[in-house]
Amino acid sequence: MAVRVQFENNNEVGVFAKLTNNYCLVAIGGSENFYSVFESELSDTIPVIHTSVAGCRIIGRLTVANRHGILVPNSTTDQELQHIRNSLPDSVKIQRVEERLSALGNVIACNDYVALVHPDLDKETEEVLADTLNVEVFRHTIAGSVLTGSYCAFSNQGGIVHPKTTVADQDELSSLLQVPLVAGTINRGSDVIGAGLVVNDWSAFCGFDTTATEISVIENVFRLNEANQPSVITTDMRESLIETLT
Amino acid sequence: MTSQYNFKKIVIVPTAKDFIDIVLSKTQRKTPTVVHKQYKISRIRQFYMRKVKFSQQTFHDKLSTILTDFPKLDDIHPFYADLMNVLYDKDHYKLALGQINIALHLIDNVSKDYVRLLKYGDSLYRCKQLKKAALGRMATIMKRQAQSLQYLEQVRQHLSRLPSIDPNTRTLLICGFPNVGKSSFINKITRADVEVQPYAFTTKSLFVGHTDHRYLRWQVVDTPGILDHPLENRNTIEMQAIAALAHLRAAILYVMDISEQCGHTIEQQVALFESIKPLFANKPLLVVLNKTDVIRLEELKPEQKTLIQGFINDDIPVMEMSTLSEEGVMAVKTEACERLLAHRIEVKIKSKKVEGILNRLHVAVPKPRDGVVRPAFVPENVIKQRLTKEPKPKKKTERDLEVELEDDYSLDLKKNYDLPADFKYDVIPEFWEGKNIADYIDPDIMAKLEELEREEELRIESGVYDKEEEEMDDEEKEIHRLAGKIREKKAIIAIESRIGRSGGAPVMPRAGRKRERSVSRLRSEFEELGVDMSNKSGAHFSRTKSRSASRPPIKKARADSTGRVSSSSRVTPRDQSGIRNVELKAKAKKMGHKAQGKMNQFGKAGEADRHIAVKMPRHLYSGKRGIGKTDRR
Repeated sequence: MAVRVQFENNNEVGVFAKLTNNYCLVAIGGSENFYSVFESELSDTIPVIHTSVAGCRIIGRLTVANRHGILVPNSTTDQELQHIRNSLPDSVKIQRVEERLSALGNVIACNDYVALVHPDLDKETEEVLADTLNVEVFRHTIAGSVLTGSYCAFSNQGGIVHPKTTVADQDELSSLLQVPLVAGTINRGSDVIGAGLVVNDWSAFCGFDTTATEISVIENVFRLNEANQPSVITTDMRESLIETLT
Repeated sequence: MTSQYNFKKIVIVPTAKDFIDIVLSKTQRKTPTVVHKQYKISRIRQFYMRKVKFSQQTFHDKLSTILTDFPKLDDIHPFYADLMNVLYDKDHYKLALGQINIALHLIDNVSKDYVRLLKYGDSLYRCKQLKKAALGRMATIMKRQAQSLQYLEQVRQHLSRLPSIDPNTRTLLICGFPNVGKSSFINKITRADVEVQPYAFTTKSLFVGHTDHRYLRWQVVDTPGILDHPLENRNTIEMQAIAALAHLRAAILYVMDISEQCGHTIEQQVALFESIKPLFANKPLLVVLNKTDVIRLEELKPEQKTLIQGFINDDIPVMEMSTLSEEGVMAVKTEACERLLAHRIEVKIKSKKVEGILNRLHVAVPKPRDGVVRPAFVPENVIKQRLTKEPKPKKKTERDLEVELEDDYSLDLKKNYDLPADFKYDVIPEFWEGKNIADYIDPDIMAKLEELEREEELRIESGVYDKEEEEMDDEEKEIHRLAGKIREKKAIIAIESRIGRSGGAPVMPRAGRKRERSVSRLRSEFEELGVDMSNKSGAHFSRTKSRSASRPPIKKARADSTGRVSSSSRVTPRDQSGIRNVELKAKAKKMGHKAQGKMNQFGKAGEADRHIAVKMPRHLYSGKRGIGKTDRR
C-alpha cells in the first residue's frame, strides 16, 4: 500500500523521512502527525526513529541508507550519531563521511544491492559507501541531471525515475540496477521523485497531492501487493495514463 | 483542476439608480470640496474640470468592468454559447452589452464636451452650472440603461448558479424522455443528489456529478427530459439538453423506460432516439433499458423486442439496469466509461499527442548482467499480514499520546532505544572536564579495561606493592628538613606580601620607594640563614670604584639664564623652548592667554562641537503634518 502523507503542510515527504527495509528515520516536527503515520504503518515490523541530522529536519536529503547501513554527512553532531546508534539494531553500520557534496540523499540513490551516485562524488566516499552499505556503486546521471538521489526512487523490486528519462536511458538504468523501472511523476506532476516518495520493499509513502494514477503506478512498479506487477502499467493502465498525461 | 469556465466571479451589476448614487458620492468623496469665488479663475475652472473628469472616469471604469466580466459569446466554448443563447437569448444579451458600450462612449463624449466648455467658464457660478449640467447629462445617460443593467444583473445571478461543466473533460451525458430514470441513475453513480420525483420535468436544468473509474475522474451530466417534437417547438428546458448533446464530446447514455411507466411507449422512445440521432454522431453511444425490476427485456412483446433488436442491428450496445434494485447500474457506468475512454484514446493517438509521453508508458525490464540473485527483503509478518488480509490491530501512536497529554506531552527520544531497559535512560554528559566525550569513545574500551585489570591483578599477586618504604639516611633527612623550611618561608613571604599590598594599592616604582635592597642587608639576611658571607670578594657585592672620582670634570657645567645647570638629557618644556629669557617667557605666556580669551568667551564651544539650537521648531511641529515634515534632519 502506498500511503499519502504530509509533513507540516509540505508534500515533499522524502525530504523529511528515510525508509529502508530494516528501519525508518523520521524528522522531528512540531507535532507527531507525520511520525505516527509511519509508526502505525511500520512499527510492528521495523523501528521508526525520530532523528535530526546536523540539527536539520531534512534528514532524507542529508543521509543515504539501506538495510545494511547508513551514511551521514560530516556535519552530523556526535549526539545525533550516538542517538542513531542507540536506536538502530547492531547489524546496521553507521558511518560519518567527509564529503563535499554533503546532501548525500540528493547525490546518492540506493537499494540493498546497488547505488547510483553523482559523477563528481569523492573516491573515498564511494569506497565507504560500498563498504558500509554493501552495494555496487555506479556513477550515472538521470535524464541529464547529476542529482541521482533527487530524481529517482527505487527499492529491491522496482523504481521510478524522472519523467523525462528516455526509453534507452531507462533500459540502461534498469540493467544496472537490476530492477524494473518506469518514468513517472509524484505529487500531481512533480519530477523530484526522491523528494516526493519514500519506499521500501513492502511499503511506500508519498505526498498528499499524489493522484490516483500516480499511486497506482507506484503500487505496481514497487509491487507493494501480491497482485501488483510492473507490466500492468503498459497493459491495464495504459489508457488511464494517456488520458491523464495528454 | 479548475474549469476555465467560472462565471462566479462577475462583479455585481447595480441598478441604474444605485449606479448614479455610487458614482456621484464617490466624486464627492474623492475630489476637493472647497472653492471660493475670489480664487484665481484658472483654479476655479480646474476645480470643476476635475469633478467632471473624475465622474466620467468612474463611470467609465465601472462600465468597462461589466463589459469585460461578462463572457463574450463568440469567445467561449460553443456549448456555453449555445446554453447562454437558450437561457438568456443571445440577441437580448448582446444588445444589453451593446447598450452599455454605447452609454460608456456617450459619457466619455459628454465629459469631453463639458471640459472644453469649462475652459471658457468666466466665473465660479458659470463653472458650477457647467459641472452640474455635465453630471446631470451623465446621470441621464445611465438612467436610460436601467433595463439593460437589470437584465444583466439577472443574467449574472443565473450564470453564477450554473453548474461548472468542463466541456473538454471525460463526460457521460444522460438523456431520454422525461421520467425515465435519468436523475435516479446519476444519483446512483455520483453524489450529485439531484431531485427525483415521480412526474415529468422534475429536472429543469443541467446537473453535474463526478464519479471515479480507472483512477480517473468522470463528469456525469444529467439533462432535462426531451420530448419528441420538432426543434423549433422545444422549450427552454429541453433546449438545454439539446445544447449539451450537441456540443459536449461525451459518451451518450440514452435511457429508455421499458416498463412504459413514464407515460411514453417504447415506440415513442425509439422514435425520439431516431429523431435526435444526428446529435449522437461520432460519440460513443449506449442505450440503457431502465426499470428492469418491473419488466425484463425478454418479457416484452415481440414487436417491442424487434424495436430493441433494431438497436443491436445498428451496432448500438443495449444494456439493462434497474435504478431501484441497482441491478446493472455499475455495469452500465463501466461500459460507458470504457467506451468513452477507448474513443478518446483513439482520437489522441491519431493526433500524435502521445509521442511526447511514450517514455512514460514504457516499463524497462532489466537484462540480467551477472548471476547474482538480488531478492527482495519483505519481513515474515508483512507477508503473513498480506495473506490473512486482517486489519492491523490499532496501536496507540505517538499522535494519540500527544492528543491525550496535550501540553504535558514531550517527545521521548530514548523510548525506542535498542538498549537494555536499565541503561536506556542513563544520562551521558556531552562534555566532561572540557573534553568532548565522543572523542574518547573507543569500541574496544571494555576489552582494554579488562586487560588493564588483569595486569593489575598480576602485579598484586607478584607482590610489586608489598615492599615497605626504605628508611632515609641522615643527610637525606637534613635535606628534607631544610626544604620544608624553605617552603614554609616562601609561603610566609607570599602571605605577607599579599597583606602588605592590601586593596590593590598602586605599586610605586622602586626609585620613589624607601631603599629596600642593600648589600649590607643582603649580607645580614643571608648570614642569618646560615650562609657564609665572609669571603665573597668575587661576588661584586660592593660597587667598583668610579674612575672619575680622582679626575676633575673635563668641562665646566653651563648654567642657563635661569641659573640652572641643564643636563644634556633633559628636554625643555614646550612653553619654554625657543624663549631667550625670563621676560620673554612672561610675555609669551601673556600673549597665549589673550589668544584663548575669545574661545573662553563663547563657552568653549568650538566649530567641531555638535549643536542643536532649537529642539522642536514650532513651524515644523504645529498644524497638519505633510509628508516628511516632522523629521527635519
